Amino acid sequence: MTLAFVGGTHRTVPLALRERLAFSAEQAAEALTRFRERFPGREGVLLSTCNRVEFYAAGGEADGPPPPPDQLVSFLAECRGIDASLLTPVLAGDRDEAVVRHLFSVAAGLDSMVLGEPQIVAQVKQAWSLAQESRTSGPLTGEMFQAALRTAKRVASETAIGRERISIPSVAVADFASGVFERFDDKRVLLIGAGKMAAETLRYLRQAGARDVIIVNRTAGRAGDLAARLGARAGRFENLAAELAAADLVVSTTGATEPVVSSQLFADVELRRGGRPLVVLDLAVPRDFDPRIGQRPGVWLYSVDDLAAACNANRKSRQRELPAAVTIIDEETQRFMGDLHHRSTAPVIERLRAGWSETGEAELDRLFRRLPGLDDAARAEIRQAFDRYAAKLLHPPLASLRSESRAGPPHGLLDALKRLFDLKD
Amino acid sequence: MIEFVSGISVVCFAASYAVALACEASRLLFRSGVRGAAMIAFALAGLVAHTLFLVWRATTEQAVPLSSAFDWYLLAAWLLAGGYLWLTIANPRTPVGLFMLPVVLGLIGAAQISSQAPFPQSPATQIWGAIHGIFNLAASVAVAIGALAGALWLIQADRLARKQPPLRSFRLPSLERLAHTTDRTLTIAAWTAAAGFLSGIVLNAVNRQRGLLETVPWTDPVVLRMAGLVAWLVTAAVAARVASRTADGPRTSARLSLISFVVLTASILWGVLGTTRHGVPPEHPATVHATDHHAVEQEATP
Repeated sequence: MTLAFVGGTHRTVPLALRERLAFSAEQAAEALTRFRERFPGREGVLLSTCNRVEFYAAGGEADGPPPPPDQLVSFLAECRGIDASLLTPVLAGDRDEAVVRHLFSVAAGLDSMVLGEPQIVAQVKQAWSLAQESRTSGPLTGEMFQAALRTAKRVASETAIGRERISIPSVAVADFASGVFERFDDKRVLLIGAGKMAAETLRYLRQAGARDVIIVNRTAGRAGDLAARLGARAGRFENLAAELAAADLVVSTTGATEPVVSSQLFADVELRRGGRPLVVLDLAVPRDFDPRIGQRPGVWLYSVDDLAAACNANRKSRQRELPAAVTIIDEETQRFMGDLHHRSTAPVIERLRAGWSETGEAELDRLFRRLPGLDDAARAEIRQAFDRYAAKLLHPPLASLRSESRAGPPHGLLDALKRLFDLKD
Repeated sequence: MIEFVSGISVVCFAASYAVALACEASRLLFRSGVRGAAMIAFALAGLVAHTLFLVWRATTEQAVPLSSAFDWYLLAAWLLAGGYLWLTIANPRTPVGLFMLPVVLGLIGAAQISSQAPFPQSPATQIWGAIHGIFNLAASVAVAIGALAGALWLIQADRLARKQPPLRSFRLPSLERLAHTTDRTLTIAAWTAAAGFLSGIVLNAVNRQRGLLETVPWTDPVVLRMAGLVAWLVTAAVAARVASRTADGPRTSARLSLISFVVLTASILWGVLGTTRHGVPPEHPATVHATDHHAVEQEATP
């Protein structure tokens, strides 16, 4: 065993326990330092996000195998001061190839709560960086995490698994508002209500270039607070009609039980708009805008249900990409394991080369003593011929080793080579 | 090299555009990582062949662009193909080719059934003929681009009204951009078509003054269809401008652009299939001006 892993996600660990198990950056650094002291020579990387806590460990022939999963569970429990018996049933462990496959899936977002979400790549990169800073990352975890990031990039570029947006605010802005407006820097955005969803939607609008933002709320104080926080202006709720007439895009998220903008109110507003198109993202439940307003020409009204339906369609679209992503994970896992197994043959290959080289040098010495008349050029030619001959003879066994490594550790072939060529450990 | 260029035929670039169109259409069926590159490669190959063909004709057959109906259609197709390539490179996920390439192929088809005989020209009418042809060409291209923008506007508006998220690898431009393009092209088409018609009148007046024409052929089908087209385009541009003050303005503009394209197509078909003296040398020229006694003045539009 060279690789081990233990971890739990939102699917297996209850929220209350996940909160206790989560590591801050400082806590993770401390845990890695403790790991280095507890398991000297072994490699370790701790990945802790809001939805998962995972520990990856690796070990080589020289320093011994990595701690098995049950020891890693105890280690995590100890680091966070949790009873290990609470963690054992909810944390899963694995070894070798399964560890690689799991990490590649995690990095590609296939194991995320939101399939294909891209933030996990940065989190995996951070976890690896922290391990490097804490000097617990080594050649094995280094290569594994590099391969994981490469795999994530392949999945992102060769499949559309992360392309479709699936959060309501992002779909509202990128798929619908952007379908109506080419640019947002010359548009006026009106936020009705000061809810969390409004702030989240505004974040996406800001990214799209929106600058002129005005917030109105029944409670003027809350509008003022949110406006100050988001760099917007606060308006008066009593001026709602005038603000609607001036707005190009409205995001409404009030908690009102009756529509805030009735069909009649909008009919008055419409006359003052001069035919300009209006996008309304009605994210409130119950709805803030009378649905009949959406039938007016030049008005593009989207309710939470409309946006949720689009999100679901996008989610299904991501699911359809899953088989292609899994194929890439399989390919990359096989390639990584093949390289890993081939690395284990390096000492035998080294000894084989050294043995042949030693024998070759001895024969060359003997030959050059018996042919003292050879000049330097002739000697160099003969030496090169010996080297080429040795390389050609070694090629078939080395190629067989590489080929065998793809299927697993080539123990049988290595033993055979050791016995055939009398290679001592 | 000369042998290669002289071997280029209309079929060469038409086939390239057709393959690019097939690639565009395949967007509707499946995803592909290489389709974009293949599409651009075929369109570019077609455009290069198309350019070489026009250059070859201009250098070897004294057929400067716009000097025959055949060349006029091919030049219009070349402009649209260039526009398609530019738009596709700038917006690779927008399927403009689905709308533009059929028009390009249609114009090439119209060229194939048009006369390749050059319009007779003389120094006296060459400038007015060129002005007339260029304005009419600009109007036709503007109408085609406007129709494309109008069609995309209606499709995008329909999708947004039905709350459908954009399709992968089939992203349409925003309504704002499409409406802007539609309005702008309607205006350009009206102005250039009017200028083309007026320059045609001047051309005929010059012909008459020089004794090359006994009367201006006001009742010729081509003159009538051009007058009708200009009247329609001016009306459409004014209607679009008036409608732009209403919430339904962009939809009205989109529909007017599409109707304009239908009117233009009907007009071209009438020109291609109908009987006309337009662009044909007069059989018995009247008194010929001393300096132009060998020349026969003609307009440079199909």
